[in-house]
Amino acid sequence: MARIGVFVCWCGSNIAGTVDVEKVREEAAKIPGVVSALDYKYMCSDPGQNSLRNIIKEKNLTGIVLAACSPHMHENTFRKAAAKEGLNPYFVEIANIREQVSWVHENKERATAKAVDLMKMMVEKVKRDKPIEDVRVPLNKKALVIGGGIAGIQAALDIANGGVEVILVEKEPSIGGKMIQLDETFPTLDCSSCIMTPKMVEANQHPNIKLYTYSEVEDISGYIGNFKIRIKKKARSVIEKDCTGCGECWNACPMHKNIKSEFNVNLSERTAIYVPFPQAVPLVPVLDRSVCLHFKKGGKCQKCYDACGPKCINFDLQDEIIEETVGAIVASTGYDLMDTSMYGEYGYGKYKDVVSGLQFERLLSASGPTEGVIKRPSDGKTPQTIVFVQCVGSRDPEKGVPYCSKVCCMYTAKHAKLFAHKVHGSQSYVFYIDIRSTSKGYEEFVRSTMEQDGAIYLRGRVSKIYEDDGKLIVKGADTLSGNQVEIAADMVVLATGVIPKQGSDKLAQMLGISYDKYGFFTESHPKLRPAESSTAGIFLAGMAQGPRDIPESVVSGSAAASKILGLFSKNEYEVEGTIANVNESTCVACFYCQRVCAYNAISKKEIKDRSGKLIKVVANVNPGLCTGCGACVNACFSKSIDVKGFMDDQIYAEIKALAI
Amino acid sequence: MKTVINEQNRRNFASQVESMLHDKLSKCYQCGKCSAGCPVNFEMDYTPNQIIKMTELGMEDKVLHSKTIWLCVSCNTCSTRCPKGFEVTGIMDVLREIAEKKGITSKVEKEVQMFHEVFLDNVKSNGRIFELELVGKYKLKTRHLFRDMFLAPKMLEKGKLKMHGEKIANLNQIAKIFKDFE
Repeated sequence: MARIGVFVCWCGSNIAGTVDVEKVREEAAKIPGVVSALDYKYMCSDPGQNSLRNIIKEKNLTGIVLAACSPHMHENTFRKAAAKEGLNPYFVEIANIREQVSWVHENKERATAKAVDLMKMMVEKVKRDKPIEDVRVPLNKKALVIGGGIAGIQAALDIANGGVEVILVEKEPSIGGKMIQLDETFPTLDCSSCIMTPKMVEANQHPNIKLYTYSEVEDISGYIGNFKIRIKKKARSVIEKDCTGCGECWNACPMHKNIKSEFNVNLSERTAIYVPFPQAVPLVPVLDRSVCLHFKKGGKCQKCYDACGPKCINFDLQDEIIEETVGAIVASTGYDLMDTSMYGEYGYGKYKDVVSGLQFERLLSASGPTEGVIKRPSDGKTPQTIVFVQCVGSRDPEKGVPYCSKVCCMYTAKHAKLFAHKVHGSQSYVFYIDIRSTSKGYEEFVRSTMEQDGAIYLRGRVSKIYEDDGKLIVKGADTLSGNQVEIAADMVVLATGVIPKQGSDKLAQMLGISYDKYGFFTESHPKLRPAESSTAGIFLAGMAQGPRDIPESVVSGSAAASKILGLFSKNEYEVEGTIANVNESTCVACFYCQRVCAYNAISKKEIKDRSGKLIKVVANVNPGLCTGCGACVNACFSKSIDVKGFMDDQIYAEIKALAI
Repeated sequence: MKTVINEQNRRNFASQVESMLHDKLSKCYQCGKCSAGCPVNFEMDYTPNQIIKMTELGMEDKVLHSKTIWLCVSCNTCSTRCPKGFEVTGIMDVLREIAEKKGITSKVEKEVQMFHEVFLDNVKSNGRIFELELVGKYKLKTRHLFRDMFLAPKMLEKGKLKMHGEKIANLNQIAKIFKDFE
């Protein structure tokens, strides 16, 4: 015999202001099986929970209904309280009379009637609840980090330092990401390579980190605790363990013209066999087969092989497939710069001296094509006047993207500052819409660029850039003084906006995590679960999630790492027990459920008799992947699937309760 | 209203203003606090913050011919309220002086400019204001001899118009201020 307790919460005046809570309580007391009905100002408070626990004990309750706020808020709170009194936590049901009643209705009488109905439905449901046990999933305590930029490296190092093995996969020949391309970093102006290379070396040498560069994740399956991954290690044509990074091969390579250096953003050239930059980690060259003479001209050229002392160049090396099993994944694939060709008026690509922010970064860098001396690409002269244009692509819903790329205001201020430091007596002009400088020390940094380094900021956008007599004429507006202005510049730097790394949407689909309309990975909750993806066991870090600067990327890398270390601190992972359950005796093996499952949670299971003879094939639910969404329940033709806690008889009883 | 920014001219003008002002134009936030509180803003052609920006950009012609610099009554509301402590009133003074030196006469605010000249002359010779002399010279200059005459008896009655001017004790200090500024 059911012994149900109903608890009606006032939620201060949130519920009680619109719903007659006493009436709800009185109605509850009349329902057969309800042995206790109570209303209280704040059920979630300590006294509220205590009275709930006392009544469970006193009345020996078999089920509880809370007419209160959304289960998203406090279902867990009340389940825990019930569990402390020895009641199965799934014998707690919530009738949501706040979000679904008091907050959305005005008429007290009718709102009260609806609240009573919802409460009655839950009483009927709880009467039919069956005990459910949470599912425990074993964990493979190994992590995969996809993307070796600053966020990925930080995540990998933190996880590895926590004593957990990490596999770090990087697409490019070297780890380091975008940060290693930068010159000095705002707002402290410490040199990017100086703070980045030690981390890269540490990641390479860490006993707990296995580094795969020039590699890509090809396939991922499985679920939290048990992801099966396949990594394609692209053929480097160089035997890594024998290579000393001496450089004889790339010095010997005859292909030193017309191959643009990706690392220097097309501002210099590289050879066919190359390391992207001298501090590359690992310091092992890659042979670019798409441009190598050996591959293009049928094996004639082998100058690099001849030059190589340890003979570690092998033209026959093939792509390698590596398979690993990990318990958790960090997706930190980073970003790309937007293509700015839609702004014909800025002349990017047309005029050599109109460069992107990242290109200017390379011109500033001591390891860049000009060894840190600012020279304009067209004639190699040092510019005296530079115009910086902010929001190129960002904050332009018509041509670019509506969001703010967040880093451009700061890097432009840094560019103007470094330009003033490197070229004395020079002048920079910055066209901006707003200046966003909100982190620690940022505002002061921008102001000092104006006040100490003399950069002139013009609030407005640029309408046209054209060449005239060796100068770039920049026409724009200064909306503060209300003037149209024209400036003759030697060089123009576009603060190009950022977009997710090309292919990150495909990776997201492979991982089964959600991403926004731009391709940035979406977090499980924008405020309270910023490091988690929508899929359990997969965490996010860095710019792949949205525009952010270096400190924020480092923080997000560490956040993802701490989540993984927390997860791995236990031997098993607990999954909520409200998942799909297959009735194997009625399943007709149509596998329509498998087709509708968004989480790849359903597989085929063979049932055999003692002699090993196959009796039938049925659908099988993987508890690690199932979220209990119920799509399969709707799809099942033979009514063989139920979601625990939401069984058919319960749903029918709820509907019947409405009819009474 | 297109302005071609010539780097050399811009620098010359901006640094001339800065050296006379003893303040940096780049300090200005362009927040508009000065313009928001200015009691004569409604009559100005450029708001005070626009004058600062245009000076920084070297728009010499526009600022020196503006009404704004002559309409400023030096009430100091702007300077007092400026979050960056910028000399907003000061820049108006500086620009007036540069305009004077260049012989630029304001077409619209001619009389204000005349008053400015007479006023400064008066301060220069007396170290303070001698109203009767100020009024007299101003009237001669503007040739509006009888305008506002009815105010004279009232001012006399209240002791606002003295028949004899007084000079301050250390006139040489006033002379020094004027000299420093020049």
